[in-house]
Amino acid sequence: MGWDFHSDFDHLSNQGTNHMRTTGMKRALLGAAIAAFAFNASAAHAATATGTATAKILRQITLTNTSDLQFATIISGATASTVSVSTAGAVSCGAGLTCTGTTTAANFNVNGTEGAVVVVGGDANVTLNGSLGGSMTSSLTYSNATITLGASGGSFQVGGTLNVGANQTAGDYSGTFNVTANYQ
Amino acid sequence: MLRLFKAFRLLAAGALALLSVPAHAAGDLLVAPTRVILDGSRGTEVVLNNIGAEPATYRISLEVKRMTAAGGLDEIAESDANDAEKAALNMIAFSPRRVTLPPNQPQVVRVGVRVPEGTPPGEYRAHMLFRAVPDAAAATAEPRPAGTGVSIALTPIYGITIPVIVRVGELDAEAAIGEAWVSESDEGAAFNFDLTRTGNRSVYGDIEVTRAGVAEPLLVARGIAVYPEIAARQVSLRVPQEVAAKLKGPVRIRYTEDRELGGGTIDEAERVVK
Repeated sequence: MGWDFHSDFDHLSNQGTNHMRTTGMKRALLGAAIAAFAFNASAAHAATATGTATAKILRQITLTNTSDLQFATIISGATASTVSVSTAGAVSCGAGLTCTGTTTAANFNVNGTEGAVVVVGGDANVTLNGSLGGSMTSSLTYSNATITLGASGGSFQVGGTLNVGANQTAGDYSGTFNVTANYQ
Repeated sequence: MLRLFKAFRLLAAGALALLSVPAHAAGDLLVAPTRVILDGSRGTEVVLNNIGAEPATYRISLEVKRMTAAGGLDEIAESDANDAEKAALNMIAFSPRRVTLPPNQPQVVRVGVRVPEGTPPGEYRAHMLFRAVPDAAAATAEPRPAGTGVSIALTPIYGITIPVIVRVGELDAEAAIGEAWVSESDEGAAFNFDLTRTGNRSVYGDIEVTRAGVAEPLLVARGIAVYPEIAARQVSLRVPQEVAAKLKGPVRIRYTEDRELGGGTIDEAERVVK
């Protein structure tokens, strides 16, 4: 609306030419203000009569997955070998294999009460099935057994060692593994 | 006009930042509270929230876990559960068991308890697991040389567990702090101490390590439990090198009840950390 309540009062004492009009407007404004006040008062009264508002803050935990465990692309050789991705994401390509692409360790961020100790759990092994047949297994390694959350939470990583067979069938291999963040 | 251009530039930068966020964050989750204790008559509520960027379907289930002497939580198949563990699974009811949530949509999970008559006094516990049901495994991200290579897509199914504890009858427990030492391994330094428990329920609380003359605690760790299935456990807390160095020598270790339960001392001990 753009009306300034205080300047209206100033006008009242000025006894200006359009006095009647401003007074009328003021009355309307004042009436509205009083009505609003009365309404507030009754609302406040009602609130105290029925009880107090309460809010309980619960302790929480959050788990977010920010990167996947990536072995990237592997060209198998004539003998069985392994590819390891450390929990830091570094690759170690076994003899006879060719590894290309960017490898990463899986990363999980945990947030919650500062100082809280969270137990990390998960599968030790995973089986991967190929799109054109064949399968592989991978062992999984976890960076932490427990995390003590700091002010900005904490994180843990999952790496793995993939067992690649001799002349492993080409294809896209996929598998799933379970990971949990556990409160005691 | 310049301001408009600036605003647009900001918007464009924001859009780019959004694009660079990995798309596989579907399934991220929040759970509150982090521990539930029921006295056998009243139920409670647990909140699950989808904090991911995409809608996700979550499954809620009860798991059996046993604490190990090293302080880990071993997953036990339902067929291997003992009578007390089976009793816990039977007395805890909850709903819903499956829910699809858009981003930032919380869901209340109601947890009820019904203790059958004649249940022996004791602590009955299961662990409530919240986890997203994964989408069909996504195809490989990187192109591979035709016909020769193998590419790998490993999808984590990740979740959170919180203990749901039902106490039946008058229960009591005490704990005692044992030896304390600092260890070094390939994974880094850790502060360790033994914790023993007696009685017929779990103990749960916070650890504070202090030194006379040092104002700030050297180490604080919250939410350390010893469950009734074990009489002793080792508490091993990963610490940065500089904290490990400071911890060596005489310290006071205090194990206190949860702040929400008054924070009373469970045990307190002077130890010389080796």
